[in-house]
This record gives sequence, structure tokens and C-alpha cells, in this order.
Amino acid sequence: MDIELLVLLAMLGVFLIGNLLLKLPVSLSMILGAVAGALVAGEGVPIRHLFEGCFTYVDTILIISTAMLFMTAIQRSGALEALNALIVTKFYKVPALMLILLMFIVMFPGMITGSSTAAVLSAGAIVAPILLKIGIPKARAGAILAVGAIMGMAAPPVNIPAMLIAGGVDMPYIGFEGPLFLITIPCAIFTVLFLGLKYCKNLDIEELKKDLDMEVGKKYGFKLYIPILLLVVLLVLTRAVPKIMPQLGTPLIFLLCAVVAVFTGRRFNAWEGGLEAMDTTIPVLAKLMGVGMFIQILTLTGARGYIVVSCLGWGLVALYIAICTIMPGFGAVSSYGAASVMGVPFLLVLLDTGDQITIAALLSFICCLGDLMPPTALAGNYAAQIVGLKYKPVLKHCVIPFLVCIALAVIYLLNSKYMGFLTR
Amino acid sequence: MKKIPKRIWTAAALCLFAAAVCVYLGVTFSSMWKDQPIYPGPGVTEIQMLSDYNPGLKGTHGDTEVYVLDSGKPGAAVLVLGGTHPNEPSGVVAAVALIENCQPKTGVLYVIPRANHSAFTCTDPQEGAPMFFTIATPGGDRTFRFGSRATNPIDQWPDSDVYVHRTSGQTLSGSETRNLNRAYPGSNSGTFTERVTYGITELVKQKDVKITVDLHEASPEYTTVNAIVAHQDAIELASWASMDMQMEGMNISIEASPTNLHGLSHRELGDFTDTLATLMETANPSQGRLRGRTNADLVVKGVDKYYVRARKAGSVTVEFTEAGIPIDERVARHICGIEQLCKAYNELGNEQTIELDGLPSYQEILTNGIGYYLSPGK
Repeated sequence: MDIELLVLLAMLGVFLIGNLLLKLPVSLSMILGAVAGALVAGEGVPIRHLFEGCFTYVDTILIISTAMLFMTAIQRSGALEALNALIVTKFYKVPALMLILLMFIVMFPGMITGSSTAAVLSAGAIVAPILLKIGIPKARAGAILAVGAIMGMAAPPVNIPAMLIAGGVDMPYIGFEGPLFLITIPCAIFTVLFLGLKYCKNLDIEELKKDLDMEVGKKYGFKLYIPILLLVVLLVLTRAVPKIMPQLGTPLIFLLCAVVAVFTGRRFNAWEGGLEAMDTTIPVLAKLMGVGMFIQILTLTGARGYIVVSCLGWGLVALYIAICTIMPGFGAVSSYGAASVMGVPFLLVLLDTGDQITIAALLSFICCLGDLMPPTALAGNYAAQIVGLKYKPVLKHCVIPFLVCIALAVIYLLNSKYMGFLTR
Repeated sequence: MKKIPKRIWTAAALCLFAAAVCVYLGVTFSSMWKDQPIYPGPGVTEIQMLSDYNPGLKGTHGDTEVYVLDSGKPGAAVLVLGGTHPNEPSGVVAAVALIENCQPKTGVLYVIPRANHSAFTCTDPQEGAPMFFTIATPGGDRTFRFGSRATNPIDQWPDSDVYVHRTSGQTLSGSETRNLNRAYPGSNSGTFTERVTYGITELVKQKDVKITVDLHEASPEYTTVNAIVAHQDAIELASWASMDMQMEGMNISIEASPTNLHGLSHRELGDFTDTLATLMETANPSQGRLRGRTNADLVVKGVDKYYVRARKAGSVTVEFTEAGIPIDERVARHICGIEQLCKAYNELGNEQTIELDGLPSYQEILTNGIGYYLSPGK
């Protein structure tokens, strides 16, 4: 037996014992798993490596923290309630169209930032109350947000896993729009209609109005929406005209918009709001730290190589199975990590089977689905938090959309040689 | 006296523990800030700094030595870049071997062994890389740093979500923002990394460099490996050189620099200057995604059981046996490639010539090890 397999088993075993038996937080369990792996491999307790592993996520942590501040600010200012009232009263007569539009709203920040977390925490927070008010159960609403955010993360123009995979083989990030739209849009529409449509027939607007705050929008008017508009404008401008617009970075944009929200609606205590936002977000940030240490030790000890080479050695059919299972499964650790660690070698093996850009795009799409995988499940976790649930019931409702997404991706992968026209 | 709550004690203990870890790590990481000595050989006539070509770099971690090996006789100028990516160590070691051994007979050789000086001061997160590796020389071990692919975030951070290449507008993953080999031709008012590439581009222009060779390594599973990547103007040169390299026993291919992939030295230096821009890649298992345990041994000996298995499974195109691909072989390829590119330049009938002397042959390095040709230090 390879020592690397022993290391892997030790890491997973200690993680599971810590999390399931000892009921330790996921973050702490991952750290213990990482330490166990290092000890079994004879590396001692490599403090430098444990520390260094976390650093991959510094930027992600900043985005999550500032997005959470923004979300709390627009909730407390009344902007969310006003926007809900506006959307419901305008579109209640065509529920399917309303649901699809809401799904696109959830996707939008992900398309711009390449982050499902940013999508859930910004647009997800806006859309969630609407979904709940029109009668969609919390768990289903959470699932719509989680899958929508991931579709946004995978959709063009910004798909970070696709960039990572393309960068790994020196392929320019050009021509990805077609295949990515072709997979994300149908999956997004299916998900929102499958999970939500049956709850939205024959909506009674008068009943809905009782639950909606129709006054806050009237009281503060247009200025209430300024933080949200500013967010959209800044995110779009930094991407659309990068040579003119300074690159503020997503965290600074969220922070600026959060500050603006303090002055554009209901008065609220910004300090208390900030503390509440950070209180809710710290457990997920800690998970990311734990994940970082875990990957570093997997790499250091060779367990990462063991996983990848084992997958590659199984032949083409098994490779497709690995792509459908292990690659999104690796997303439990990190979807970006899945793209870099598994996406690149898988692409190299599949290069001759069809259109290369389409294959890279589809692999990146499958990597993005990893943001649904527990224990990290970034998209699922935050979607659950927004609808006020634990993430397990939310993830339960993500299963069928997830399987449909995977199935469609595999169908496209098998037929990628006919899809080259999409990349031109 | 009011009793201090238990949670305060816990918090204080955790803070103290964190502070102790930070001090320990500070000392550990700062060990990478010291430049390892390079011992100029008989051919070195001057040591310049990159800030001589872009004064904006002076006093920053981007400033780096430019070793000048001037024959004193008229001829062509050649630039060799090592350490564009310090996690590709054969480029650095080959550049150092040039500095310590080469004696041009005509023309001038410029060598920048630590092109991205800042990237030598850290390692890449989640790669589990060693900070240092050693090569045995007749006078004892010689230590080199194994750095990062990208500029240290201390010098350039944060990265934008998407990296937009300045002159072409091409978009890449934000993680490429600090990649020296995505930042050409650079800008003297740009990012830290762009200012470094601007300095290199200025050197090429000001010294009328005829050939540029950027030394790299790649994962063994990568498609462009054991190859010379050449700008379209340099294809003929690279083809001639590769024929001679094959005659010396090397498997080497020629790759045309993609016209739609921007920011790389072989594309932008070729487009924006008159140099014949080339880049050389060897197969380095210590940076591959299929590798097993990551440590200094893997960097130097290049032995990895998972690459052997992957090769048997057909997942790796480069020949990979139980003997591995040691740094001796990778450095030998680079040194031989540089020599052959210069010879090919002369054979192609160019008016100015560049003749390099004092370099060990490919076979000599394989036989004696590269350590034999490195100064044992003082």
C-alpha cells in the first residue's frame, strides 16, 4: 500500500472523527486532519506549511467579509424590502418569467465577480425574501439561490475555474462564452422552475402586499436603491472598461456600497450591523483556513498526486466517472483547487476527444458545482444562512438540479467535437 | 477585586499562542529574503542593476543584478533570463552556471539570474514547496532558493479578480497579475511586475539585444515541454538550434509562440523589440500536479513514482522513468540550448556574431553533474 494512501486515510479519518464523533467545528476538524496527515507522512507538525496553506484564501475571505457587510447594510437600510415590493408588484402576473428574471438577478454578481459567495450574499440576499413571500419553502428557496449563484459563477464573462484551467495549459481565455452560456442558462432555468414554479401559480397580490413593506420605498424613493445601483455600475465598469476605470477590487466595491447604504435609507447602527455581519461569517472563513491547511498537507505529503494519478489511471470511461464525482467532490475542499489540481490534467487527457475550449469550459462548470459540496459548500452554506436554515435541508433540494447539471455537462463533453462553432 | 471571566483568559492565551506562532513564522519566512551568493566567473566584466534601465525600480525588491559578460570584441548581444519563475529552478541554476563559467569570445552576454527577484522571497501557497534546495559541488553544498511563480504579495497586492493585459486587453485569471511572464512588455507606470518587465524590455532595446532566451520549466504533463518556444521571427533560429540539440542526444521540439496569447516574453519582446525572442522549457516534476511527496529531493533528483505511473498510463507524453529527470539534465538542456541558439545565429550568416566559450557540454554535465561547474563558494 502506498504511504500516500495511508496519509489520505489518516487525514479523512481524523477529520470525520473530529467533526462527526467529537462534534468539533469543520474548520478545527480539518486542521486536525491536516496535522494527522503530516504526522503519518513523517513531516512532524509543519507550522510553516499549515500557515502558508491558508494564504490562498486571503482574497476570498476579503470578498466574503465585505459582501456580508454590504448585505447587512442594505437589509437594515430597507433597500431589500423596497426592492422586493417593487419586483413582486410588477411581475406577479407571469410567475415563470418572474422566477427566471429573479434567477438571472442571482446569477449576475457571480458572472461579474466569478464568485458564488458574492452572488449569494449580494443578489441572493435581495431575491430570497421575494421567493419566501411568494410561498416557496425556505429550503427550496435556499437551493434556488445556491444553484443560481453557482450558475453565475460559471457563466461568462468571468469564470475563474475556466481561467485557471486555461492558464494551466497556456490556452487564452477566449471563446468560452458560447459553451458556458449554453450550459449555465438552461441549467439555471430548469432549476428555478423545477424548484419554484409549482408554488407560484395564482399569486394573490393583495395577500402578498400584506407581507411586503410598501412604505419604505415610498418614504426614501430612488436614493434607497443607490447602493445596489452603485454596486452594479462599479462591478460592470471595472470589467467593461478596465483601461479607464481603476481596478478597485471586489472587496473595496462591496465596502464602498455598504458605506453608501448607511446614508440612503433607514437609519441604523453601522457598528452593530458590522459586528453582526462578521459574527455570521467567521465560521465560514475559519472553514476556508482549515481547507487551505488540508490542501497544503495533501500536496506536501504526495496524497494529492495519489488522488490525481489514480483517477487518470482508470481509463476513459472511469475518467468521465471521476470527472462527474471526484472533481465536484474536490469542491468540498475548494472549487478553485479542483480546477487547478484536477481540471488541468483531465483536460490534457481529453484534449483529443473534441473541441478543447468547450472541454475546458465544461470542466470548469463541473468544478463550479463543487461549491455545493459539504462540508465547505460555500454557496449552500450562505444560501441556507440567508433563508434562515442549516445547510443540509437546502443541499437536499440541490440534488436533482445538481444531477441534471452534471448530466448535461457530460452530454456536452461527449459531443464537444460538434460544439466548436460556439467558441469562434 | 472583580474576577476576570474565563473567556478573557482563553482569548488572551489564544492571542499569545498566535503571537508566538507569528514570531516563529516571521523568522522562518524572512530566511528567504537573503540573496544566495553568485560568484562571478572570469567572463563577467560588469554587474549592472535592472534599475539602470528602469530607474523606478531602484530601492525596490524588483531591482535585480544584470551580469555583463563582454568579450571586448564587436558582436551581437544576447540576453538570458533565469528566475522568471523561481519555482522552475533549472533556469536559475543554468543562469548562475553561465555567470560562473562562460567567457564570450565575441559579442556581449547579459544574464539576469533572478529576473523576478521578489518571487524568490516566498513560496506558493498550497504547493507544499521547499524553501531551499542544495546542489553538491566539489567544495561542498551550494544552496539555492525555491521561490514562487509570482511576485511576492508583499510587493504587489491585492490581485484584481481578472488580469487585463495592458497592451492587448487580453483577460486572464487574476492570479496571473503578478506573473512576470504575463506582464511584458511592461510599463514604467504600471504594477510592480510590469515595472520589472519594462526594465527588461528597455535593456533589450537599449543594448540592441539580438537573441533573448527565457529559461523555464513546466510540469511533465504539460503539452509544451522539452521545447523551444519561438516568436515567428525566431523560428528559423530555433529550428537550427534544435537540430544541433537533437544531434547531442536531446529530444527537443519547436513551438511557435501563439499570436493570441499575450504578455509572454516570446510574444511581446518579439513584437515590441527587434530581438529574436525564445523561451525554453524542460520537464520539472516538482511543479507538476501529478507529483508525489514534494521536497528538495524531488527538485534536485526529479524522481517521482506517480509520474512513472502516469507515463505508463499514457497521461504524460514526456519520457519519465524510475531514474527521474534530475536537475543536472534539465540545466544541461538549457545551457546546451543557449549555446546552440548562439551558434545557429552565427551560422545563419548574421553580420554580428556571438561566440560563447567555457561552457560544459550536455554530456559533460550529465556525466559530472552541474555541481561540478558551480563555484564551491568562499
